[in-house]
Amino acid sequence: MTTFADAATSFIERQPNAHDRRRAWAAFEALGLPTTTDEVWRYAPLSELSLDRFASTTSSAARADSAIVDGLVAHAGLVVRVVDGVVTSTGTALEGVSVTAEATVSDEALAQRYADDAFAQLNAALAPTTITVRVARGVRVARPVVIVHRTEGSVSFPRTVVALEEGADATLVEYYEGGKDALVVPMSEYHVGENAELRLVTYQRLDPSAWHVARSTGVIARDGRLLQAVIGLGGYYDRSRNDAVLAGAGSHNELRTTFLGAQSQVHDFRTHQLHLGAHSSSVLLSKGAVTDESRSIYTGLIEIEHGARRTDARQTNHNLLLSPRAHADSVPNLDIRENDVRCAHASSVGPLDELQRWYLESRGVTPSDAQRLMIRGFYNEMLVALPAQLAHLVENDVTAVLESVTAVAS
Amino acid sequence: MSSQLVIEDLHVEVGGVLVLKGFDLSMGSGEVHVIMGPNGSGKSTLAHALAGRPGYRVVSGTVSLDGADVLALSPTERARAGLMVALQQPLEVPGVRPYDVLVAAGADPSGLRGRMGDEARRVELNPDVLDRFMNVDLSGGERKRAEMVQIGVLRPRYAVLDEIDSGLDVDALGAVARRLSAAAGEWGCGILAITHFRRLLSELVPTRIHVMSDGRVVATGGPELAEVLERDGYEPFRARAAESA
Repeated sequence: MTTFADAATSFIERQPNAHDRRRAWAAFEALGLPTTTDEVWRYAPLSELSLDRFASTTSSAARADSAIVDGLVAHAGLVVRVVDGVVTSTGTALEGVSVTAEATVSDEALAQRYADDAFAQLNAALAPTTITVRVARGVRVARPVVIVHRTEGSVSFPRTVVALEEGADATLVEYYEGGKDALVVPMSEYHVGENAELRLVTYQRLDPSAWHVARSTGVIARDGRLLQAVIGLGGYYDRSRNDAVLAGAGSHNELRTTFLGAQSQVHDFRTHQLHLGAHSSSVLLSKGAVTDESRSIYTGLIEIEHGARRTDARQTNHNLLLSPRAHADSVPNLDIRENDVRCAHASSVGPLDELQRWYLESRGVTPSDAQRLMIRGFYNEMLVALPAQLAHLVENDVTAVLESVTAVAS
Repeated sequence: MSSQLVIEDLHVEVGGVLVLKGFDLSMGSGEVHVIMGPNGSGKSTLAHALAGRPGYRVVSGTVSLDGADVLALSPTERARAGLMVALQQPLEVPGVRPYDVLVAAGADPSGLRGRMGDEARRVELNPDVLDRFMNVDLSGGERKRAEMVQIGVLRPRYAVLDEIDSGLDVDALGAVARRLSAAAGEWGCGILAITHFRRLLSELVPTRIHVMSDGRVVATGGPELAEVLERDGYEPFRARAAESA
């Protein structure tokens, strides 16, 4: 039987830049998979994770686009298609936007940056291609750039780099689907230039059996804006770490994470906002619901470096418990090394408000409809904040998923 | 169509304290009944118990609507059977729009926005506030009138209004009272208005007035009873309650 290590080594040796990949693989082997004794992996069902499960090279048959992909494509200005981390189409060129797919280079700098992250090292060793989307200086891209990631095999290591040059403005969607019994480990980096604005939607709709361990990092230059929405609906274990470095003065980051957990799903969200620039600001809002035996974790760290004066950082996390067996943890952290700042955090964990529900029922609304309306209401502020072309599409999709969940719950 | 709402010997406990202690009232469709009483007499408890609010435990007694046992029904079923309560403090439900609530409550979606707008104008409410989430960022008076819109659209057989006059200025109160009087005529809505101010009665002409004290009705009469209350206050009625206890 082929082990995961055999398959990985054989893949690496076939690549042009095997040297760097070997180093990343060695780093991964040295780190080993994390265990639940690591605080940051405490809630992951790691005892069930054996990489050898993902060693098979069989691929599920390519399938027709899902309705959600059709919807995204209909609204897109440019569509990039990626299967198992390999770019299959870079779409039709758009003025001022370049899309390239090249063999991944995992240089020393990258290895250093993710030195303590075993999954990032796996991606560095095994990502077949790096997709780079670059928006030229001052270009405003009218319609969204959509990257459709499908996982058809047992593993997928997508690598994406998005760079907006000075004054550029774009909307980008990274959409993930497929991944039955697969391991999906995306790694993305976003470079937002001076005075540029990137609106980003990371939409995870993987198969409920998939392991999804994602990491993204945004680096924002002076007066740049990164507005990121992360939506996690799929996966068996859905881990999503989204970091931002507010490097320039006046840089701004908004991160809205939305999730819905059912059955024994785990949604594990980590954020790290690092404020370096003066007058930088960040707004984090995480809202999710868990039902059945599912569980969610939100751990957010806001770090304000000395010199990041007049920084304004807020994080809010609300969790809705829709079943007595569901569980949510919320751990907001602050690490502040500058006096002249404004920081705030708030979190809540609880069921739907009983009196609000009664109030709706006392108008003649059935209990299940009252629950449905209130859950939709809970997600409303997340959905209305999405880029206008996508809000309706995503709202319909989330609503459809909610209906299936609430139908079971009521 | 004639219809009867009958409340008999109702005892209700809230937080382990008996608040309603044998409340009786009987009314028919198209009638306007007003319950008056000082603070703490149990008026709001009656409204909440009729709407099945969690925490309001009926210890004994019966409530029937055309012979059906209201207390055996869920809050939803009570509203759908035609008993609707407008609260003294309507709750905010963030993220949920009144239109969607009315549709879920059984209102015909065809022409609904138009009907909501018409009902809003009848109680001098700016229809635009109904586009906001339910009662969110509405003043106390706007919430009261938003509840009147619900009643106007859903047309319950009986509308119980808890302190509908609080938060409303004289003009708005007049409009609300006129809307209620019209409802009694339009679809024979039975109106049970709870208040501790007589000013509601300047526009809403009651069929019967009931004076409440210490959890039960201590006096019932015609509109002239309001004048007695105006002159003598609630004190003589308190005494009557103490004697009968």
